[in-house]
Amino acid sequence: MKQYLGPLSKDNPILVQTLGVCSALAVTAQLKPAVIMALSVTVVCACSNFIISLIRNTIPPRIRIIVQLLVVSFFVILVDQVLQATLYDISKMLSVFVGLIITNCIIMGRLEAFALSHKPLPSLLDGVMNGIGYGLVLVVVAFFRELLGSGTLWNHQVVPDSWYAAGYLNNGLMILPPMALILVGVMIWAKGSLNHSTSRS
Amino acid sequence: MKKFSNTYIFIYITVLVLVIAVVLTLVTTGLKPRRDFNKQAEKCQQILQAAGYNGLDRQKSVELFAKVAEKTSTDSIEQYKIVCSDGTTGKAVRLDGKGLWGAIWGYVVISEDGTTIKGITLDHKSETPGLGAKITDETFLNAFKGKKLYDKDGKFVSVRVLKPGTSAEISAENRVDAISGATITSRGVDEMMRTLSH
Repeated sequence: MKQYLGPLSKDNPILVQTLGVCSALAVTAQLKPAVIMALSVTVVCACSNFIISLIRNTIPPRIRIIVQLLVVSFFVILVDQVLQATLYDISKMLSVFVGLIITNCIIMGRLEAFALSHKPLPSLLDGVMNGIGYGLVLVVVAFFRELLGSGTLWNHQVVPDSWYAAGYLNNGLMILPPMALILVGVMIWAKGSLNHSTSRS
Repeated sequence: MKKFSNTYIFIYITVLVLVIAVVLTLVTTGLKPRRDFNKQAEKCQQILQAAGYNGLDRQKSVELFAKVAEKTSTDSIEQYKIVCSDGTTGKAVRLDGKGLWGAIWGYVVISEDGTTIKGITLDHKSETPGLGAKITDETFLNAFKGKKLYDKDGKFVSVRVLKPGTSAEISAENRVDAISGATITSRGVDEMMRTLSH
């Protein structure tokens, strides 16, 4: 059980393995797209882990990366199509980043490191947990960026009008990608020093 | 490790690709009507917003659009005759241009005599959030309302998007302020507006 909980904290894909950082910077200006992105990655990661694990004994090792890519892109296109049909606004906001889930190193990483050598159900669970680990970081970053950058959460205004009247300003830098990089950087640093001190003691 | 023959690999990958292609084709075709509806509904929403109808969701937009608008497009320009929210008739014209990172487009509703802007909506593919993406902000769009396309001598100048304090020869009713920090996107909107001459 312990190895499945790893992605949530000790072995977090973004904070510890520094995978999937690009999309973490791009889609975290607001909470809603960040959550949808996290869900999409979780679905793709879990499903492709499951399928690859199912067929792992039939995959010729020489073309395994190609087979993995095929399966991953299949699920990504599926997610993209469903988003366009049902959550049009969100899919517009996420634009190219849904398609770019294909290149998210977390997914290929889990396929190589886990699905190819484990049974389908554990692989499914591993995919879900890694997706959640990735999603957690996205949500935290998006929470601060939306709160400080736009004064809203989930598109609802939380900073009262009286503050604006008193001269409070939204931090425009928060909306831009550089600030996301700084936030993620701070989180990686905090996580790193935390892990370091626990491993010493 | 098991050995796989070349024939096996060849057949394996062919079958896999075929299966995936067939499933994806089915899904894409199945969802196409809903995707098309979303695109169409968004267009209706944008045109209606330019005509002064605010706060409509997509479903209502499509219904209202069918009532108040009528397509009058020619081959080269997409345009509609539309009854605005204040009861007057205007014409909605599609605009296309380029911003800093990609396409920008929008709809402008002009009064029946073709001189005054009644409203405008703009959209973009990938302008910078907080800078170029501000062209979709209400404050920027509202600045266009009531502006004139012709100057006092009746010459076409369009509504220029210019930095405050530059090109003093263009009077206030023919210009709106550009967005600071978004020079290229503003210029894109400016050029798009100038295509209204025809």
